Amino acid sequence: MSVTPMGPDVVEAETVVSDDSSDVSVEQAIAGRTPWQLAWARIRRDRTSMVALVILVIAIVVALLAPIMVAVGLLKPYETHQNLVQGIGSIPTGAFGGISSHHWLGVVPGTGWDLLSRIILGITLSLLIAFCATLVSLVLGTLAGLISGYLGRWPDFWISRGMDLVLAFPQLLMLLALSPVIVDRITKFGVPTGNPSRIVYLIFVLGFFGWPYFARIIRGQVLSLREREFIEAAKSIGASNRRIYFKELLPNLWAPILIYFTLNLPVNISAEAALSFLGVGVQSPTPTLGSVLTDAASYSTADPVFFFAPGIVIFILVLSFNLLGDGLRDALDPKSSR
Amino acid sequence: MSGKRSAIALGVLATVTALVVTACGGSAGTKSTDNSSSGSTSSAGKAGGTLYYLTKRPVEHWDPQRTYIGRDISNMTRLFTRTLVQYPATADAQAALKLEPDLATDLGTSSNDAKTWKFTLKSGIKWADGTDVTCADVKYGISRTFATDVITGGPNYILQFLDVPKDAKGASTYKGPYTKVGQAAYDKAVTCDGQTITFQFNKPWADFTYALTLPAFAPYKQSADQGDKSNFTVLSDGPYKLDGTWKQGGTNTFIRNDQYDAKTDTVRKALPDKVVFTEGLTDETIAQRLIADSGNDKDAVTDRSIVPAYQSQVFTNPAVKSRTENPVSPFVYYLVPNFKKMTNPLVRQALNMATDRSGWITAMGGSTNGTVAQSINSPALLGYKPANVYNVPDAGDPVKAKALLQQAGVSLPYPITFTYSGGTPTTEKEAAVEKAAWEKAGFKVTLNELTDTYYDVIQNPANAAKYDVTWGGWGADWPSGSTVIPALFDSRINLNPGSNGQDYGLYASDTVNSMIDAALNQSDVTQQANAWAGIDQQLAKDVAYIPLLVQKFIMTRGSGITGYINNPDTSMYPDLGVIGVS
Repeated sequence: MSVTPMGPDVVEAETVVSDDSSDVSVEQAIAGRTPWQLAWARIRRDRTSMVALVILVIAIVVALLAPIMVAVGLLKPYETHQNLVQGIGSIPTGAFGGISSHHWLGVVPGTGWDLLSRIILGITLSLLIAFCATLVSLVLGTLAGLISGYLGRWPDFWISRGMDLVLAFPQLLMLLALSPVIVDRITKFGVPTGNPSRIVYLIFVLGFFGWPYFARIIRGQVLSLREREFIEAAKSIGASNRRIYFKELLPNLWAPILIYFTLNLPVNISAEAALSFLGVGVQSPTPTLGSVLTDAASYSTADPVFFFAPGIVIFILVLSFNLLGDGLRDALDPKSSR
Repeated sequence: MSGKRSAIALGVLATVTALVVTACGGSAGTKSTDNSSSGSTSSAGKAGGTLYYLTKRPVEHWDPQRTYIGRDISNMTRLFTRTLVQYPATADAQAALKLEPDLATDLGTSSNDAKTWKFTLKSGIKWADGTDVTCADVKYGISRTFATDVITGGPNYILQFLDVPKDAKGASTYKGPYTKVGQAAYDKAVTCDGQTITFQFNKPWADFTYALTLPAFAPYKQSADQGDKSNFTVLSDGPYKLDGTWKQGGTNTFIRNDQYDAKTDTVRKALPDKVVFTEGLTDETIAQRLIADSGNDKDAVTDRSIVPAYQSQVFTNPAVKSRTENPVSPFVYYLVPNFKKMTNPLVRQALNMATDRSGWITAMGGSTNGTVAQSINSPALLGYKPANVYNVPDAGDPVKAKALLQQAGVSLPYPITFTYSGGTPTTEKEAAVEKAAWEKAGFKVTLNELTDTYYDVIQNPANAAKYDVTWGGWGADWPSGSTVIPALFDSRINLNPGSNGQDYGLYASDTVNSMIDAALNQSDVTQQANAWAGIDQQLAKDVAYIPLLVQKFIMTRGSGITGYINNPDTSMYPDLGVIGVS
């Protein structure tokens, strides 16, 4: 990562040093640390961020393992237990939404699906959709921001107007209105009809509407970076634009990219849930946090456990990502104070 | 061959059911079985006030000749469309079958083996613009059904029965009042002599008077007819007229029609001064509002069954329970195997054997939402017989089903695609439960839910190769197999290049077709009912369909509603002819 000009770190380094001084006393004064090591040290001192990070690591590990657990039969998101849902309106027969040693969060009304299995598999799909959508935003936004910020003049003009245009779109209305048309197109490209097509739709559409946020940040950073000496130097020795983008500018942009990736991800998790509720996202029986919540939304009085469980999981995930994002921003960019 | 049909998401089409039939002198052969609850639920009301009607699915047509949705048929015939004869406002299953004269002076006279029917119109009945309702208006209204290119969506019995020559393909040579092609033949079959109208049929039509209650047989004023543009025109000769023009998916108000003379009408009480329709609400919203019972919602009724999430509230809270009815509806849910894809009869039998009907009901919300069906015919039909010829248990039998599949010699798992009207958590659960049941028996199921339009997709011959099993819902127009079996399984009237009609499974059996002809030519109602039951057994043997359930409604109303009844004649939807507000 060569020498990265992150100015204020010099000051920070001293505080870090004094902090660690209890155990090692001689070497630390001269210990060279990369900005990433410094940021990590700062994060570690931020208890909120650490809690959020731990929750997210657990969630991601669970999400990655869920398909395997389904395959070996530890999670059974589609197994029906209709004998457990014989209440009025087919709500679970047992107390607290039918919680038992077999069904730790109870069962889903009507079918008797195991709620825990569905929420865990739901985390996998929701995170997958949110992750991919954010990645699409990131790639589009970073490229647009780099080109716009570095070239200036007419490319900057047009890309900026493009961002304004996308940001001015009534997003939700467009998502609802375009859904049948685009999903149909996606199906024609050979993606299986139904939920697989809708997942592809969500990823691309959420990704598309998210890129201007990345592009604006990146553009701003590039505008200040392109006047710096190392860029001048690269230009004067005849480096190509491509080299400047990817070897000179991009390595200096990881911090904002990482921060906004972390902050954009929970936005997409919520959006997935909202769209599912509005009928254009993933639909039951495929579990995502959104589709489970959609089913649960009307059960507030009839089956409160079913109603609250998926909502709480979404809440925890979104909150954790936001807190971690804030923590990352503080750690990577100490200039911005809360 | 457009039709009436019902759907979870789409609502319901078909019309009238009653329990035991005595059509035109025939005697009732069966006893009413599990028909529903209570009769009238609150004392008769007083005139005045505003009634609110909360609903989800927008009205598709207010044109009488194009209306074939159960809810809309009952609403329009109660509010603004009068027919020669009409169903009474009653909750009594027997009394519900005794038609009353509406525009006509009596129930008509038939002669020539029920091939000729004669009715005389009452005098003094006026359209909302003050002109008289004439015999010519009735004749013109009925002729509109023949314009099958413009007037789509309505029932087409008249095309089959009226004595107008048919071309080689079986289509009528009369093409309706717009082109006037073949007008002379129509003028010969339907004649007006003063206020007396006479119909000539090509075969006996013993239960014609039941068909006459459909808005398709209502008069239409020729000078007001703009073809397709009249789709939402409310042409009133009844107690109410529309205030302004119809706003689709919005809120519309019906007000009193000052040209209406209550003395000419024995059917409608027309108590409220105004009836306000609000469309486009979700089922959840409707349930919440009716349970909460506040403000104008105290005077509200709905055609939407309470969704499962709110059923425990509705049935356990005495205050809400007293405002809730749980009648058996006329609608039967069923599945159809695709005969072009599932050609092996043993595979169809295996599917039938594996189908979990009680599981479907549980997914719908349990026993208050439906009872297991043993036939495509509702138990309310005359001469009803169960048609479970393979003795399939309510929850299916995966072991026997698997044995049948193995006997069929196909490689397992056997892949099938199930197409259904989806898009709500409840419909997805129903499909998921069925998928699980079928997979236990050795099928590999792909779910194909249609969330937008449904019937026009499965009726499209171009899509026929895509699915193996489809879902359907049907309610008889009147309690006779003649409004069920030909409409669903006569390949000659259903299957044509443009549409599969209601024969979604592409079932085509010469045996069944000739049995249908024999039944239709039977002028004795009881013997005809037996013939329908016989055809039903044949259909069950072929697994032309797999019966699922007879739907039950859970209807909650506001606390200010008076005179609410469960009328089989209005398909158990609120009977706006008698409902008042306090």
